[in-house]
Amino acid sequence: MKPRRVAITGLGLISPYGGDATDFFARLCAGESAVRYLLTDDRPRPVSMPFVCCPDFDANAALGRPLAILMDRFCQLATAAAFQAWDDAGFHRARNDEDRDRWGCSWGSSLGGALAIEKAYREMWLNGRERLPPSSVVMGMHNSANAHISIQLGLGGISTSHAAACASANIAIGEAFHRVRSGEAVVMLTGGSDTPQAYGVARAWEALRVIAPASADHAARACRPFASDRAGLVLGEGAAALVLEDWEHAEARGATIHAEIVGYGTSCDHDHLVRPSAAGQVRALHAALADGGLDAREVDYINAHGTATAEGDPTEIEALNTVFGPHAPALAVSSTKSMHGHLLGAAGAIEAFATVQALSAQCAPPTAHLDDRLDPTCAGVEHLTSASSRPLRAALSNSFAFGGSNAVLAFRAATA
Amino acid sequence: MKSIELIREFLHERLEIEAERITPDAVLAELGVDSLTMLELIFEFEDRYKIDMPEDTPFPKTIGELITLMEGIIASNQAAS
Repeated sequence: MKPRRVAITGLGLISPYGGDATDFFARLCAGESAVRYLLTDDRPRPVSMPFVCCPDFDANAALGRPLAILMDRFCQLATAAAFQAWDDAGFHRARNDEDRDRWGCSWGSSLGGALAIEKAYREMWLNGRERLPPSSVVMGMHNSANAHISIQLGLGGISTSHAAACASANIAIGEAFHRVRSGEAVVMLTGGSDTPQAYGVARAWEALRVIAPASADHAARACRPFASDRAGLVLGEGAAALVLEDWEHAEARGATIHAEIVGYGTSCDHDHLVRPSAAGQVRALHAALADGGLDAREVDYINAHGTATAEGDPTEIEALNTVFGPHAPALAVSSTKSMHGHLLGAAGAIEAFATVQALSAQCAPPTAHLDDRLDPTCAGVEHLTSASSRPLRAALSNSFAFGGSNAVLAFRAATA
Repeated sequence: MKSIELIREFLHERLEIEAERITPDAVLAELGVDSLTMLELIFEFEDRYKIDMPEDTPFPKTIGELITLMEGIIASNQAAS
């Protein structure tokens, strides 16, 4: 099968700002943070941290109660984002005449149905319940999101989930991209979702001492990637979905093409579970450029992994300086995590969403809270501290996960 | 609570089926009650009445059969206790 071009024809997301895709990107460009202070009523000690929620998300309204009631929240967010992307692509949810047996779903999530599993334990160990409803099985399973999406959209090809911590969605999207490019699939619905507010998850991250300190008054500015006073990452819940489609198929039906996905590169640091390695990231970046047939000088924007941890940020910039060499000073870089937080297994999805919108709008969003406070160890690239309208030919989106799993996606602005 | 009321409440909450459609001769499959929903309903029933439904209980086909089954089990549990 000859390699094909792959169009992005559908975008969907559950926005922490509550609005639609256009509103989300406008707020990113305005440098507006969605980070808020989260205080739960958990026993024995509440979760108290900066966090990004999707408070306006109404699962029953988005999915209908009979469907929503059988899903964990990560799956509700996923399916609602998938529906949006599907509608945006101009497809009908019900199978019409077209054969969707070679259309599939590849979903990314780090935690899967963690909330459902946690609820089950809580009911038994804390509330003394002796048995669990049978739906606990299908709500807790990691592949519930892709399974529901495939059922709802009538996708007869592969349906799978990818779990690689913070690289989950980039890997899910990259694997979906390769399937369309190879001709195995005509259309792939892909993306990611996660809900790190699960009590056991949030408290575990806290213990790792990488979470920005809690402060009800200053939560919005809690996540400051690349800044000299950065103090750690901010977790968030959410979901974003993309429709990847064979280019000729998209053109033939007159679909709107938001951007082209051209490359996908992966690597493992094979070094340390949590300490990032520039060498491993360099290999993933080189692999993505090579896979996309991109010259480094064609890349005009990078949506960085940029979590705002002490070690992660300078390591990523070191990798970018190594790969882009003399082009690095002209390379626009931003971490939109400063505004939408770190969605763990969904990070790559919401950042692919932002990157595609940047290419489509020819405007790169900034890193919020970075004015006049750039850490010298993160210097060498053009850090955007405000949105920048400029010609953007190609862009990368980085995800560098615990476990040393690295995944980089490469996109081009849509051109016939 | 009478069995029919429990069934109505459950099917309304899960499948948004109006109470008027839950009549003894209504066929469960036609109402959209699949095997997973039936397992959930049995669980709800067991949980509510603190009883165990025998594992080999055949799935009823109609609301009427379901009511007969539930009330039979409630009666035998009350007789046993």
